Formats: sequence, C-alpha cells, structure tokens
Amino acid sequence: MAEDSRYIRQTMLPQIGEKGQKKLAQSKVAVVGCGGLGAPVLTYLALAGVGNIRMIDDDTVNLTNLNRQFFYTESDIYQEKCKKTADFLQERNTKLTIEPLCERLTDKNVKRLLAGVDVIVDCVDRIETRKHVGRAACGFRIPFVEGGVHGFYGYVLPVLPGESACLECMAMGTIEEKPPIPALGAVAGVIGSLQAVECIKILLGLSHVMYGKMLQYDGLYGEFTEIPVHIRADCDCQKFNKIVNDESHMQ
Amino acid sequence: MIEVRLFATFREGREKIVYFEPTKAACPADVLDELGIPYEEVAICLINGFHSGLRDAIKDKDVLALFPPVGGG
Repeated sequence: MAEDSRYIRQTMLPQIGEKGQKKLAQSKVAVVGCGGLGAPVLTYLALAGVGNIRMIDDDTVNLTNLNRQFFYTESDIYQEKCKKTADFLQERNTKLTIEPLCERLTDKNVKRLLAGVDVIVDCVDRIETRKHVGRAACGFRIPFVEGGVHGFYGYVLPVLPGESACLECMAMGTIEEKPPIPALGAVAGVIGSLQAVECIKILLGLSHVMYGKMLQYDGLYGEFTEIPVHIRADCDCQKFNKIVNDESHMQ
Repeated sequence: MIEVRLFATFREGREKIVYFEPTKAACPADVLDELGIPYEEVAICLINGFHSGLRDAIKDKDVLALFPPVGGG
C-alpha cells in the first residue's frame, strides 16, 4: 500500500484534509514526561503524523511503571525511558523526527529544551516541574496542554499564554502530592488521549480548543465536568517573558 | 444558596455537589469546616471560576469549586 494511504482515515476529515496533514507533518511538539500520560500522548501524536516530536524525561523504567506505561517491557527495566520511547515511536512511524532528551527539565535548561516548539504537552508527575513548564510556556508564548491524574481522577487544561488561565492562576502548585501517587493506566489513557486531541487541534489551528476550561474526569462516576477558569490578574504568568529571556539563567 | 462542587478525592464519602445557606458559609473556610476537609488538602479553590483565598467572601448564588492536588503523570 502506498505511503500516502497511511493517513487517509484522518485526511478524509474536513477539519484535517491534505492541508492539515501537511501542517501536522511540519509541526514541532515537546512532550515533557514519558510516563503514564506521555505514553498515550506521544503515541497518538506520532501516529497522527506530527512530524517533529521532542520528548524530555530523565527517568529509567521500573517495575511499578508497567501497570500503565505501555512503551516498556519487563526487559526494559533500568533502561532510559526516553530512548525506549523513541524506539517505540520510530518503529511505528519511520518518517518522523523523534528527539529523545534524557534529562530532567529545570529552570536552568528549560529554554534550551522548550523554546521554538509549536505546542508543549505537560505530562510530568511533579508540581515543581509543572511550574517550570508552565512558566516557560507562558514566557515563550507557546500554547501548552496540562494534564494530571490521581487514581480514578484526572483533568485536562489547555493554556493559551496571556489569553487563558494557567494552573498558577488557580494557585495550584502550592501543594505537592506525596509519592507514590495512585495511578490507573486506563485513566491516564483517557487524560493523555484528551491532551493529544487538544494538541492536534491547536496544531491544526482549529477553533474550540478548550482554552479557559478545565475538564475534570471522574472515572468512579463515569463523568466529565467542564469548569470555566479565569486568569488571575496578579498571576506571574503575565510576567514570565522577563524570566525566560534572561540569558544568565538559561543555557 | 451557595453551590459547592467537590472534585476528585473530596467526593469520597461526600456528595459531588453540596448546597449551603449563605448564612452558614461566609467564606470557603466555613465550607471546609462543615465538610470536614482540612485546609491544607485544598489545591485549588475557585469562586465562579476565579481563584479565591479560603477567607474570601462568598455570597448567595456563588459557585465554589474545591480540588485536591491531582498532579500525577
């Protein structure tokens, strides 16, 4: 079958078409975290033909990951997640440029790791790293898609910097959950898939991205709840340009 | 009435939505006391979609949304 047929089931969508598919192929996305959320996000972006995917994670595979992180096998334990993830994705789509960066994202390297991409998808498990991602994305004015899970619960929040609320607008980030955080693979699959959908919509320039809305998922009730959220006037997200453009802090 | 929407683990052992007379809930801290939720467990507190402090005033017809941390990835 000709390579052109790979995407035929999505180019037939009026929202995508050949033009949209070309857009996806030319897009660059950074996914921070190759864990429970990162697995569905990266899989669906790669399969959809997002041409340039950068993934950032300094972790190695351990047995407790295998209830939800489907990139890895028992023989991958102690291996770097980033490299294993890159292999998994590249095998499924050899046309993509996959860029594994096996390092922890901090305020020191955030510019090098995230600047210049079209969308950032935040799939990390630490509040501190979420803050770095959110602040950098706001500073670079890069749209980003937040997602988080806790057992049967999860949320998705796409953010358009300067235009819609970020997690810090809601003051989230002052409480760090004590690890290990409960995690059910199927719930991470729901939330990660939603993050991938929002990311693809942003890349395509579609309207109705859920900016300004936090979508909460409750797997116990089988229920989605949309919560309108508003920018906090004194949130630092309005001031981050200065921080990320200060070369003395960034590599 | 004040509508209080609880999310994630705050729902466990409680209702999803609880209503309070304005006279019984002057601020989010009053609601937390009534529901037996420790203040330090609240990651996000929104009144009508805007960030709110636990001592900020709430009034009739406001919607208060309370979230624990949901930060796993």
